[in-house]
Amino acid sequence: MAEHKQILLKNVREKDQHKIDTAIQRGAYAILKKTLEMDPLKIIEEVKTSKLRGRGGAGFPTGMKWGFVPRDSGKPVYLINNADESEPGTFKDRVLLERDPHLVIEGMLCSAWALQSEWSCIYIRGEYAYPYVQIQRAIDEAYERGFLGDNVCGSGWKHHMVVHRGAGAYICGEETALLESLEGKKGQPRLKPPFPAVSGLYGCPTVINNVETLANIPWIIENGGEAFAAIGVENSTGTKLVSASGHLNQPGVYEVEMGYSLLQFIEEECGGVRDGNALMGVIPGGSSVNVLTAEECAGVNLDYDSLANAGSSLGCAGFMVMDETTDPIEAVLSLSRFYAHESCGQCTPCREGAHWIEKIFARIAKGHGQPGDIELVESLCDQIGGHTICAFGDTMVLPYRSFLKKFRNQFRTRIAEVMKGVEPRRESIDFEAGMH
Amino acid sequence: MSFSMSPESEQKVNELKAKYPQPESAVMPILYLVQEEHGHISDAAVDWISEQVGISPAHVMELVTFYTMYRKEPLGKYHIQVCRTLSCGLCGAKKLMEYLHERLGVEPKQVTEDGMFSYEHVECLGSCGTAPMCEINDTYFENLTPEKLKTVLDSIEKSRPDLTYSQKRDELGSGLDGYSKSEVI
Amino acid sequence: MADTPQTEMVTLTIDGKEVSVPKGTNIIEAAKSLEIEVPFYCYHPHLSVPGNCRICQVEVEGAPKLMIGCHTQVAEGMVVRTHQTSEKVRETQASTMELLLINHPLDCTVCDQAGHCKLQDYHYEYNAKPSRFLEVKENKPKAVPLGSTVMLDAERCIACTRCVRFCDEVTETGEIGLLNRGDRYQIAVKEGRELDNPLSGTVVDLCPVGALTHRHWRFNTRIWYANPKDSICPGCSTGCNVKVYERDGQVVQVKARLNADVNKEWLCDEGRYGFERFLPASRVASAYVAGEPASLDGVLETVGELKKGKTLLLCAPDLTLEDYSVVDLFTKKCLADAQWVTAVRQRELTQLEQILISPDYGANLCGAAYISGVAASGFVESGAAAGLRDVLEEGYVAALKLLKSDYFDNVIFVGDRALDERDLGDIELLQALTRTPFTLGILSDKEGALFENSRVVIPGRSILEKSGMLINRDYRLQYAQQVVPLRDGTYQDWKALNLLAQGLGKKLVECESDRELTNIVLSTVDDLSGLSIRAIKQGGINLVSYASQLRQSAVVSENGNNTVTERESDRA
Repeated sequence: MAEHKQILLKNVREKDQHKIDTAIQRGAYAILKKTLEMDPLKIIEEVKTSKLRGRGGAGFPTGMKWGFVPRDSGKPVYLINNADESEPGTFKDRVLLERDPHLVIEGMLCSAWALQSEWSCIYIRGEYAYPYVQIQRAIDEAYERGFLGDNVCGSGWKHHMVVHRGAGAYICGEETALLESLEGKKGQPRLKPPFPAVSGLYGCPTVINNVETLANIPWIIENGGEAFAAIGVENSTGTKLVSASGHLNQPGVYEVEMGYSLLQFIEEECGGVRDGNALMGVIPGGSSVNVLTAEECAGVNLDYDSLANAGSSLGCAGFMVMDETTDPIEAVLSLSRFYAHESCGQCTPCREGAHWIEKIFARIAKGHGQPGDIELVESLCDQIGGHTICAFGDTMVLPYRSFLKKFRNQFRTRIAEVMKGVEPRRESIDFEAGMH
Repeated sequence: MSFSMSPESEQKVNELKAKYPQPESAVMPILYLVQEEHGHISDAAVDWISEQVGISPAHVMELVTFYTMYRKEPLGKYHIQVCRTLSCGLCGAKKLMEYLHERLGVEPKQVTEDGMFSYEHVECLGSCGTAPMCEINDTYFENLTPEKLKTVLDSIEKSRPDLTYSQKRDELGSGLDGYSKSEVI
Repeated sequence: MADTPQTEMVTLTIDGKEVSVPKGTNIIEAAKSLEIEVPFYCYHPHLSVPGNCRICQVEVEGAPKLMIGCHTQVAEGMVVRTHQTSEKVRETQASTMELLLINHPLDCTVCDQAGHCKLQDYHYEYNAKPSRFLEVKENKPKAVPLGSTVMLDAERCIACTRCVRFCDEVTETGEIGLLNRGDRYQIAVKEGRELDNPLSGTVVDLCPVGALTHRHWRFNTRIWYANPKDSICPGCSTGCNVKVYERDGQVVQVKARLNADVNKEWLCDEGRYGFERFLPASRVASAYVAGEPASLDGVLETVGELKKGKTLLLCAPDLTLEDYSVVDLFTKKCLADAQWVTAVRQRELTQLEQILISPDYGANLCGAAYISGVAASGFVESGAAAGLRDVLEEGYVAALKLLKSDYFDNVIFVGDRALDERDLGDIELLQALTRTPFTLGILSDKEGALFENSRVVIPGRSILEKSGMLINRDYRLQYAQQVVPLRDGTYQDWKALNLLAQGLGKKLVECESDRELTNIVLSTVDDLSGLSIRAIKQGGINLVSYASQLRQSAVVSENGNNTVTERESDRA
């Protein structure tokens, strides 16, 4: 099995890392003390050198995002930790929050110092009650020991950190929807420009980063940006937490160096496809990316460029594996139910289109598909993608288009089979489609 | 119809408002506080919350109906949310739903006669590596099969554990042995 | 014409045509100035921009995807293509229409919005294709009263949020919310509460579809049977711009018209739903003398009595500028010892009412003040409307006091509101009127104290039957158009006074119609020189800035640099 540098999961397998004493013993907050003596702008440069890219799915260069914050606006700068992890197939941030919350806090504090922010907030999805308890307790402990409060580590700098629970809306993971939610409104994305770095929370400059992204910062500060950039490959530096799930023998969260072979990952880290079944397809980056068939996975590595060249995307590395027993129609139906349920409803194409597509897939899955349905869904995908307020519409259509393209025969057969009244052959995963 | 909250809750509301740079931001945790105490968010509660944070009642209603975790109507003492998104679906969520339908004898979002249970299917809960799974109140139960779910429900019926998170004691309930820690790694 | 100070200009190209607009203008407005229509539902020039309907998408050269016209500001050298020159834009518009209609109920046959519905209009313009939707439509509550004025049909709503934003941003009452997520969205008020603010009916104007309709006029007519007329609300001195729909002599709907300088696109409920009060239920159909119907000649025979003694003319505060000019002329030319006052009283208003309503019932009290000379030195001062109200009220109250002390021998009522309604219950006043030797009314309302207390009545016209100029509380000159057809045998106030003057052997004005009189006034009043009805109709004229323009051009011509001064009619 390959050895991967462990930056993020270094501590989680040890006991009691969520307790501050144990955490301090392994070095927690030592880097923070060092950071507070550094020039904030130098830290931003270091992060730029590291070429760290946002780990929440968009992969935007973190240093560049930090550089957009105006230093002279006269308004407070806010840092938000986006812990709204709701992308299907993704459960990596949860591990950090539950098992190593002090790493998360230290990462946030170092970042806040670089941004000269005095108030930060962790927006955690409402369903994550246990991770919430863990991180809140860790924050309380940090306050007690002076790592948070009006005089952080005796430096004179003040920083307050708050945890805010979401209440069940995937769309709140979108930056500006998160800001709306935090301001006490429905989580509906804002029009851009202006961008959060200039006008975010309460109209003030705001940086929103993913949990994993922020957890990388202490290591980068301690070892330098170049050292981080030396791990991984050209445009995908450092490590990545991959949330592997689906038809695997050993699903779970794995930290791998960027550029690692996808198929090797399945075979070795994940123990291979269950029951010795053949692989049908992989959705590598959380559900909002193009699906890859088994053939297409050959020679592909887990990094941004390789997956993009293969026609998909690394996204947040919510790695879902489907074996040959999967009915691709019900698989994409399951995803379409997700998107229809989570569409915030603000703009016309996504609001109407998401539900329409769900209804068409449900009809096809139930056996009432019509000739022309495939083309209709593809036409709707074109009507939604590129026409919405936020990226939800753009990325929602990726699994639809790719499933229809790569499993087209199965769709055609199902529509044609209706007319012959043939019984379906695969295990049903959608209890509303009701294959029985 | 008069609505009131306990004195500790009123105190908590002030603490919550002070936590944020602007008090309207506290509306979400306040909604949770009300739901903790009363089991759901009634029309009268909406008026009360509206006064506390200065958001019009219609806009508080928007929040109650936009976010799925807030409830206008009370549900069962133990509300079982079964994840149905792709990975859980691939690993057998349907069987869990079928089992619940059979055992409890009600449709999703309906409450059993004794008021103990209700269930619904929800979207991805971030526990795909331990699929299929469900969340009962605020506690995750992972790596389930219909048999294991049966064991869980039997234990709940017998020992009536506290599976909720409470802002007032700032803790997750005691859960059931062997299930309350996440097994995601 | 909006009165904006000169700002930095930006030049861009839209569909191959170049245009220069102020910096900060969005693409929809820039296109409008070229008379290119970019369709929109959710955008409104006086509300925040939500950008949710997506139908205003246009092509901007260099942008990776289509941009929404409502949110995108113009930039120097920008090249924009609308549906006129872009296939992609046309496809997107058709697509947006298709998606809006998939769950929309086919209610046209029973919906009040039919005929003035933007879904119908845009579907016809930008899509006109049959639907591909084979699924079951979402059902939502229908015919839900949101309050006493507005009816909601939740299925028809397209979630543009104009109504929500209006109640949040203008009235700040926040009664309306858009509940739920995805396509289960639903407009609602909080259970147990109502849409209840003084401007509530405005949301019906704002709603582009039939989701919000007027309860007051529900199912009363198909809009295409009604005749729309652009006019000015005569309710108070705000002078909101309105479009009044008339059918068979009745007002069947009133909409607000867009005017950035007066009422944006808002209208108060009192003005809108109370419009019908300006058409009296029981109208004066002939002349009356001593309570008996008489011929006009019979009336004119009594006129001689006016020569004796002191005369008071009580004028309604909503007469046209032309009417007041003739009243003034009549008083000065035909009567020995006469004065005229305008029945102005202040009103108490709630804070919400003050958003739009003025504390008076006098649509043209500034006009009255101007003609009577109370407004000192023309329109040089601005913002003095409040002071004018005080002065006019003082004059009115003083006159009533004199009346009650039997000072006057003759009283003439000009207009149905020649006495403020609060004075109609003043017993002393009514008794004094019965003691007054000669009372004459130019009235259209047969009910009430004025008719009863006029020994002689000339059949007048209601405001809605008149055309003329009104000056609002900000010294904006506007043109009110007649909205209901005339009734034969009735007279405008100025015409009645003309006749009375003839009876007294004098001539006041030489013209037949309201329009002719307006033109005479425009050509004889120095402060209005250069204006035409057409120019005034384009959003009104700010008389304060117009006065300074006139002064400047007068200075220029005095200096001999330019003997021909610019006429405002050219500029408009």
